[in-house]
Amino acid sequence: MQKIQSKLKLLFIFSILFFLSGCEEFKDVDKDVFVSMIGIDLSEDKDKPYKVILKLFVPTSSFKQNPEANYTYLVEKGETLSEAIRMLETHIDKELDFGHMKLIVIGEELINNNKTKEILDFLLRRPDIQLISWITVGRPNAEEIVKMVPAGETAAYPSLYNYFDGNGTESPYIVTTFLFDFRRRMMDNGLDPILPIVQVSENKTTFTVNKSFVLKDKKTPFELDSLSTLVFNTLSMNVQMADIEVNEENELFVARLDKIKAKNKVKVQKDNQVSLEIDAKLVGYIAESENALNMRDLPKYSQLLEKEAKDKITKFMKLLQSEGIDPIGFGLKYKAQTIHHKRMSTEKWKEAYKNADVKVKVSASLKSTGSIQ
Amino acid sequence: MNTQETLLWINEQFSHTNELVQKTLEYEQKNIAYMYIKSLIDNEMLQKTIIKPFFEMANMEQFKLYVQALPQFEEVPAKEQVLLEIMNGSILLEIGNELCLIDLKLSKNDEVSSASVEMTIHGSQIALSDNLLTNLNLIRSYYRQPTLNIEYMSLGEVNQQKVAIVYDTEKVNTQALKLIKEKLQRVDKQVISAANQFNNYLNDKRFSLFPQMIMTEPPDRIIYNIAGGKVVILQDGSSQCLAAPVVFFDFMNTMEDDYHTVIISTFLRLLRYLGFFISLLLPSIYVGVTSYAPEVFRTELALTVAGSRMGVPFSSFVEVLFMLFFMELLLEASIRLPKAVSATATTVGGLILGTAVTEASLASNIMVIIVSAVAISTFVIPVNEMAFAIRIVRLLLIVITSIFGLAGLTLGFLVFILYLTSLDSYGEPYLRVYNYKKNKERSEGHL
Amino acid sequence: MSRYFYYFVLINMVANIIASVPSILLRHYNEGSVSAMVLATITGTLIITVYAKFFIQFPGMTLPDLLKKTTAKWFYVPLILIMTVVWFIAGMITLITFTFLLIRYLTPEMPIILISLSIILSVILGCLIKTDRVLYTVEIIMLITFPLIIYIFFKASTDANINWNFIKEATLFINQMPNLESFTSSFYLFLGVGNLFIFNRFFNIKQKFGWKQIISIFFITILTLFTTYFIPIGFHGTSEIESLVYPWLQTSDSLRMKYSLIERVLFVFLLFYLCIAFLSILIHWHVAVEYLKYLFTFEKIKVKDVNIGILIPPAIFTVISTYFVQALNESQLFRFSSIFYMILAGFFPCMILVFFYIKRRMKYAENTK
Repeated sequence: MQKIQSKLKLLFIFSILFFLSGCEEFKDVDKDVFVSMIGIDLSEDKDKPYKVILKLFVPTSSFKQNPEANYTYLVEKGETLSEAIRMLETHIDKELDFGHMKLIVIGEELINNNKTKEILDFLLRRPDIQLISWITVGRPNAEEIVKMVPAGETAAYPSLYNYFDGNGTESPYIVTTFLFDFRRRMMDNGLDPILPIVQVSENKTTFTVNKSFVLKDKKTPFELDSLSTLVFNTLSMNVQMADIEVNEENELFVARLDKIKAKNKVKVQKDNQVSLEIDAKLVGYIAESENALNMRDLPKYSQLLEKEAKDKITKFMKLLQSEGIDPIGFGLKYKAQTIHHKRMSTEKWKEAYKNADVKVKVSASLKSTGSIQ
Repeated sequence: MNTQETLLWINEQFSHTNELVQKTLEYEQKNIAYMYIKSLIDNEMLQKTIIKPFFEMANMEQFKLYVQALPQFEEVPAKEQVLLEIMNGSILLEIGNELCLIDLKLSKNDEVSSASVEMTIHGSQIALSDNLLTNLNLIRSYYRQPTLNIEYMSLGEVNQQKVAIVYDTEKVNTQALKLIKEKLQRVDKQVISAANQFNNYLNDKRFSLFPQMIMTEPPDRIIYNIAGGKVVILQDGSSQCLAAPVVFFDFMNTMEDDYHTVIISTFLRLLRYLGFFISLLLPSIYVGVTSYAPEVFRTELALTVAGSRMGVPFSSFVEVLFMLFFMELLLEASIRLPKAVSATATTVGGLILGTAVTEASLASNIMVIIVSAVAISTFVIPVNEMAFAIRIVRLLLIVITSIFGLAGLTLGFLVFILYLTSLDSYGEPYLRVYNYKKNKERSEGHL
Repeated sequence: MSRYFYYFVLINMVANIIASVPSILLRHYNEGSVSAMVLATITGTLIITVYAKFFIQFPGMTLPDLLKKTTAKWFYVPLILIMTVVWFIAGMITLITFTFLLIRYLTPEMPIILISLSIILSVILGCLIKTDRVLYTVEIIMLITFPLIIYIFFKASTDANINWNFIKEATLFINQMPNLESFTSSFYLFLGVGNLFIFNRFFNIKQKFGWKQIISIFFITILTLFTTYFIPIGFHGTSEIESLVYPWLQTSDSLRMKYSLIERVLFVFLLFYLCIAFLSILIHWHVAVEYLKYLFTFEKIKVKDVNIGILIPPAIFTVISTYFVQALNESQLFRFSSIFYMILAGFFPCMILVFFYIKRRMKYAENTK
């Protein structure tokens, strides 16, 4: 037995030596160049509809000596995305590495032209593209967003990442959609895809992310304004914090909510009449007020907040219904509670969703008036 | 064979040396003769136990009885044995045509030394001496059990070293004991200079990486091992002893683990295993990540690594081997150097070389950090021999990783574990998870 | 039952989470996968119980030992040969699946034969060591890898992005007739107990297998099937889920460790799963080699006093599997594994008949004594 083992070891060593001669895949990290984000635009060229913009990290030997962000850009058109990328590879001396790409920006025009399916297919088929990369819409186009470097951006971490990664800003106006989330929303008919819109702010120094697009089948995407985006985030519990401005009964104050809970229910009556029930619980404090406040009136303020929130949610729901879009996933909720052979067809559901009556119940409790009364 | 012939024969054996002293004492009808080797005998003792009483005793009869009553007294066995005993420091005494041996050995090495290899804070601060009897005395006096058994052998054709096998007859792993005795009998070496050599002599395999016996010096650990059913081999002239059979986890334990509170010793153990994995895997992970899968680490880290490698002329695995090579040289050098110089060597090697190498961009900053982290964590492994073995395995893993990438590293590590489990230490599996609470299960060797 | 028993049962379950089993199940998500899984859980627990109860009657005896004692040569030689092939293929399927995974996700540029050979060579050493040592290896490696894998499963099921509505939707397909393909592939998860055929050699002390053991096995399988099937659905929805080739890998890529050194769980998952796959192949091929040892005396084949006979089976294994690694593509592999699972779902229950026969003969032999 022991003799065999030593023979085996010899065999092993020889085979390793044999493999050593075929060791050609060895490639050092400094021969790779990392892509930080990809922008995909619609080009003017009819034959080559896709325009791909890559933002590449330029490695520096020390971030301490060179704290400013440094990028190179590659732009190429192509009939398909792969063709464009293949051409891009001839533009640079190093190998393109998509493994660190965390952000995908799709130009607004491309979204309007209904090319999302093709783009999604490309992004999913490549195993080196992370499924946890964020997917966004660039306004007016992707190139402008990708090429912009805001002031104060640190090397190695583009500031646009901070908008989505839950580590930097946690604004309630930002919708975060991961690539895998986008995929499942695209595939499923009970949950509509929603993408954040990234704009360059007016003074051209930072980004603005507070609107979103809801994609729906073949129709042009529907844009949610900032307020609707906020309500969407609140209802789908994407955010932990939100501000709501209350302006009723001569009171004008801003409630900062630090605990948000929302439950959705779908109830179906016999004749396919659907009612959507939303039950929201908001807990927070008052962050700003026009008038002096009284601690003892907190229940009253809570009631005002309830009323305001109810108004906003109802308005938002009416908007969704009139457009027939469902980013919150009532359709999925319905499917999750109805056994498959008793479900109504997709078309019927869509009709029922549009005509459903919405019951909103909000219970708010404000715990404090802040540091002053 | 009669007395005269024996004496003649012994005389003949020593005819090439002038160390042999022969004397005849005659006084008032009493006469004795004795012979011994001058450099081995305690002169004072000789004077006190033999010469003085000889002149004081009334007659031969009384002296003879007196000699027989001496604790050092020994009957005379075969003449070869006599020769050996003389060389061990006995004197051969002839009283009225009868021979006897008296052990008057002079030993200058019987002082218990302080621990020098296994440093501890809380554990026993003393270590074995070079003298076998002193060592046995130490063990006996710490392990008060009538079942403690000591067997002697003399090995080494030329130098005939005394070897003692110590074990507890009730607790000992009998299978291992049998194997060890058999193998000891089979040892045919000319010179045996230290107990540590048995680690090789008792091993049938020509190439073996991992120690099959554990080398130790503090008595608390020896006692612990004997109580745990191990066989301990001591040798005259060696301040270290060997314990067998061992398992892998013995090499990761220190005696101090039992002296701390549970939480502290768990933490220390955790630290030790972490150090073990770092020293084994870190350089290979560096090679695998930088050369095969740079997308594994998070972006900031990958960019830092990529940036720090800028301008380094070697590919990553040459870089790693290059730096590790110098680290190994440094380690080896600091062992050999006198204490006064070794501090300088470490400073020059570690600090100056490290900075200069990165300045000259022969290696990346991160590489220097990795190499020093590896060096430190290697020292965390408590038993030196294991640390040596790990250093070699580490090199193998680097080679495998540079061929097969991270998957190769994982597989290489698995093979390493497979190899360890397939090893035997005197019938005991080298690596397996014991349930120490179920001692029965352990001793039976199966469930 | 000794803890070692759970290891090879568990390894077979966990190793297949990454292989074609979830793909097959998800392909039929609306054609009776859920009910097939329920059925498989019951029958699977049953077969584990029967197998374990049979073997605890003969401590330390392998199935070939028993066959040799009780049956004729014309019966046991072909049977053992068939079993060798079955175990070899079981290992090979894991091998090929993992080779494909590695080439797709970790080292796309490496030649496929090199990847498969690197796995094979590392496993082969394990085929030749003693049976108890294989179990010790399994235990150590599981101790190292399992905490992290369990953590990943836990993290996946508590992730903010998992949508439980999808899972509920998929569960509601329970009222369909079980699908054969789904049933056989989920039944395959339970067949790790078959390794007892050889590993029973190790259990030479009388073991107990009572309700406690059955219940714990039952819960382990439910958890495994849940992670296999429902967590990918929670992340990727039900519609067109069949378009995901390796559902669990894509699920692990949908996880994000925000603060860790390695942000993408995919790589950690892949490398740690490589260990599990290694163990699975190791166990299967070790059993296959042991079967062959009952049929041929490899010790006799010697070249210059060196025993090379024992190297013959691993060499054959290497050649065959490197051939198949190159010959098969992904869809063929899935079809091949699916057919293999179907055959096994017939083969293993049939073995119970053999057990009955052996038991009667053994009793008879005892009585005549």
